[in-house]
Amino acid sequence: MTDLTRRRFMQHGSAVALSAAGLAAGLSARTALASGHVSGDITMIKGPHSADEARFEAMIIDDFKAVEPGVNVTFTTYDWANMNAELTTGFASGNPSDVLYLVDLIYPNYAQQGALHDMTALVGAEDWSSERAQIPEFAWDLARLDGGTWGVPVLGAVYNIYVNKDLLSAAGVLDTWNRSYADMMDAARKTTSDGVYGFSVRARTGDFAFWDWLPYVHNAGADLLSEDWSECGLRGAEDATQFLIDMHQAGVTPPIGAMSTQEQFDLFKAGKIAIHHGETPQIAALMADPPAFEWDVAYAPPGETAQTVMGNFGILSIAEASPNKEAAWEFIKHWASGPQVGRFAEQVNLQVVREDIVDGMFDGNPAMQKIQQEFVPRVVGIQPHPQILKILQSIWPVAEQAYRGEFTGQETIDQMCDIINQIIA
Amino acid sequence: MLSDEEHRRLRRKAAVRTNLTAFAFLAPALAFLLLFLAWPVASLFIQSFHAGGVMSPAKFVGLENWRRTFLDPLVVKSIRNTLLYSLMAIPTVFAIAMALALSLNSIKVGQNIFRTIIYFPTLQPILIAALMFTFVLHQDFGILNIIMRAIVGEPVNFLGNASLALPTIAMVEVWKGVGFWTLLFLAGLQGLPRDLYHAAELDGAGPLRRFFQMTLPLLKPTFFFSFVFATIVNLQIFDSVFILTDGGPAHSTVTTTWYIYRSLFTFNEPGFGATLSFVLVVLVLLLTAIQTYMFRERR
Repeated sequence: MTDLTRRRFMQHGSAVALSAAGLAAGLSARTALASGHVSGDITMIKGPHSADEARFEAMIIDDFKAVEPGVNVTFTTYDWANMNAELTTGFASGNPSDVLYLVDLIYPNYAQQGALHDMTALVGAEDWSSERAQIPEFAWDLARLDGGTWGVPVLGAVYNIYVNKDLLSAAGVLDTWNRSYADMMDAARKTTSDGVYGFSVRARTGDFAFWDWLPYVHNAGADLLSEDWSECGLRGAEDATQFLIDMHQAGVTPPIGAMSTQEQFDLFKAGKIAIHHGETPQIAALMADPPAFEWDVAYAPPGETAQTVMGNFGILSIAEASPNKEAAWEFIKHWASGPQVGRFAEQVNLQVVREDIVDGMFDGNPAMQKIQQEFVPRVVGIQPHPQILKILQSIWPVAEQAYRGEFTGQETIDQMCDIINQIIA
Repeated sequence: MLSDEEHRRLRRKAAVRTNLTAFAFLAPALAFLLLFLAWPVASLFIQSFHAGGVMSPAKFVGLENWRRTFLDPLVVKSIRNTLLYSLMAIPTVFAIAMALALSLNSIKVGQNIFRTIIYFPTLQPILIAALMFTFVLHQDFGILNIIMRAIVGEPVNFLGNASLALPTIAMVEVWKGVGFWTLLFLAGLQGLPRDLYHAAELDGAGPLRRFFQMTLPLLKPTFFFSFVFATIVNLQIFDSVFILTDGGPAHSTVTTTWYIYRSLFTFNEPGFGATLSFVLVVLVLLLTAIQTYMFRERR
């Protein structure tokens, strides 16, 4: 059973060491992979992290072709919102993609169903030990379940806050807004005016709104499940949830459920939101087309026990039904190598889990540097329980009602715990 | 002269030949029905007693899926929403379609143009229609909300309001379906005997009386088909829910088919999804049987 704790992530953060040498090491690792001993056709499927995903993947595949000319890799994408349906259909067909990029939210269920290949022997091989050592243990824990290792951890996504510094400054709260939840509420009220919202957070299940709620839960020392995953672990998050309910009831947010993730971000870009919960890939949009105000990245104020950041992780897995696991493994090793994963992470503004390439990344992108160096050590991820997606999608409608003022924080957590206990029972 | 025994033998032979010929003609249809209806329904029923079976081997779990179905509050909510949606959408689309069909029937010039215009929304794929309506209904720049602002001063959160989302989906489906039902009713109206109407007119029956005492009763076979067909189609409402609200906000637009999809493809629970599917099949059969009975009684 694996569980990512804040402590482990702090360890990771402190372990994040340089370097330019890391990139060089990665390059030599890539050279070491140039074996050319496998052949065949394989496919890879992944959710897009950018509109240019296919182009970025083609770069990785072209580089792979140079070291493994006998392997043809065909890349395809799944839609994030319907990833389960598409992946399940693939697995059910008996002919799924050989290599799959899976997030911690969904892979445990596939692993439990026997759809994924146990990669314990592959990742433990002696000839890959130097590469394996670059990925910290906390990340490997995320890829382990029931005694198996179901993929190679490659990327992380942080859910951060964006702030419009001009709006906060004009309201006189630029330096105080994130000292506490009360200060955040005060800032949201002061920056709200006609057509401008002080605060925005996703509210709809389809927009994965729970990512924005979870840091407040973690800050309160709670989590979806108890430490041993035997029951609901949300007790203690009542006040934090009440705070978000109050935010919505205070009239400082866009109408609940009226806007998608993209619409809220567009509103932020237009200078109409002061404090906005978003995701790091949106940094690319802000840099490509800078808004007419000063902005920064931030995280939620401290809660009762911690000040955390939400993040989730992606692993590269091999389908159990893959007829060419050897070629799939060679491609995964290539994809996960420092130069490849580092370049891709920079292209799409995501975080890497490898420790050897962190410091050389995101030159000229201070927001991403800040995220990688300051935020990542604070990340508390999801508990990779096989039913975690069902849990999140089942409890979130309760929060949606709560944001509308139908429940208190206490009632919300009570109902959520009933649902969670029913599911894991 | 043939003996009685000979007669009986020949009669039996003729009967067998007739039956064999009939079965031979029916065989393709029967095979089709068995392969694509009976077998899937039977498989579904068997699957409802199992867990897994798609990515992992099926495991017999007895009545567990059925127990969950009756205990899961979301199942009850999804069935209630599905019925509520059908109650909103079917009478509304029939009323509008009948009004349009009557109007079209009385138009002497340019009827084809109007028919095409009215049928046009039906030709749109639901994806296009739903995406179009996200712009029509948008809180800030949707045309409907621009009108609402002009009238009541406040925009309406059509798809984000838990009490408005389901009626809004019904509205989209009515818009999309009205062309089909209008043409169906128009065909029914144009098939009615003109002589009866002339006679009624000569006897002094006004338009309303002619409509309620002649048109509606004469269209009963059309209505029978329409109600049964509309019930079957609307109880399976999925695509517009999936695109417009994905069951939200706060599960207010969760329908049975949406929950079946989620169970099968998102939560990887094929046994539970199969049980829900079977519940839906039973519900559709039950309502169809009731409608058939009601229409037969009145004939």
